[in-house]
Amino acid sequence: MMAKESKLQGMVRDANLNKNIGNFSYWIHRITGIGLSVYLLMHTFVLSSAISGPEAFNERMGTVQNPFFAILEVLLIAGVFMHMLNGLRITITDFFNWSRGHKILFWIAAVIFVILMIVAIKLQWPKFFIENYGMGGH
Amino acid sequence: MVERASNQSVLTWFLQRISGILLAFFLITHLNVHHLFHDITVSGIINFAGVRENLQSSIWWKIYYIAFVPFVVFHALNGFWQIIADFRLKAGAAVFMKAIFWILGIILIVTAIMTLGNLFGGGA
Repeated sequence: MMAKESKLQGMVRDANLNKNIGNFSYWIHRITGIGLSVYLLMHTFVLSSAISGPEAFNERMGTVQNPFFAILEVLLIAGVFMHMLNGLRITITDFFNWSRGHKILFWIAAVIFVILMIVAIKLQWPKFFIENYGMGGH
Repeated sequence: MVERASNQSVLTWFLQRISGILLAFFLITHLNVHHLFHDITVSGIINFAGVRENLQSSIWWKIYYIAFVPFVVFHALNGFWQIIADFRLKAGAAVFMKAIFWILGIILIVTAIMTLGNLFGGGA
């Protein structure tokens, strides 16, 4: 008799049994979704220093503007684009009853993702170097 | 389908998609303006005065962010709730979790609105 498994164990077992695009994108969507929700909390915490005034805001913003956070920001941007493109794919298949096209939509989303990330990393590039943080403007 | 969806879950399914489509627009704009196209070698690091100058440059930024916040909070918390709902909590635990999410959502929206008010300046 099979031992009773938890929901999470069932999800992992299901992922192992169904190594396909649908299952992969399901996990990507959930993991990026949780990550982005946690980021939303941190983002609100950092920006809420504005409530205490400009000095508090500048001080807290100063602690998150360096090459380390610039690299984390690339991960954030990757998470946003993955979640956004896959979310649009889900919405198209849902609203247009087009589940037959979900695989081709996945590959279209993957190509757009790679292009967007190349552009994003190029734009982000100067932030990876500490010497570019000397200026005090805005 | 073995299970019958309640009207509430159909509504939240629909709202999750609608808010998702709107967030695609909001986030592309927000990411471009405040993250990607903020050239540190030209504008320097982000500070209070710079953010206020940006936000005061047009009334549309105020409207944009006031609309953005509720949608992003709803989408994040409702998405989280959908993951938790998959685990089929006992009725009491589900009510408790929903209450936590509602409180968290209200705290997030109030904090964000207060933050934006200070960044907008001029009693906005």
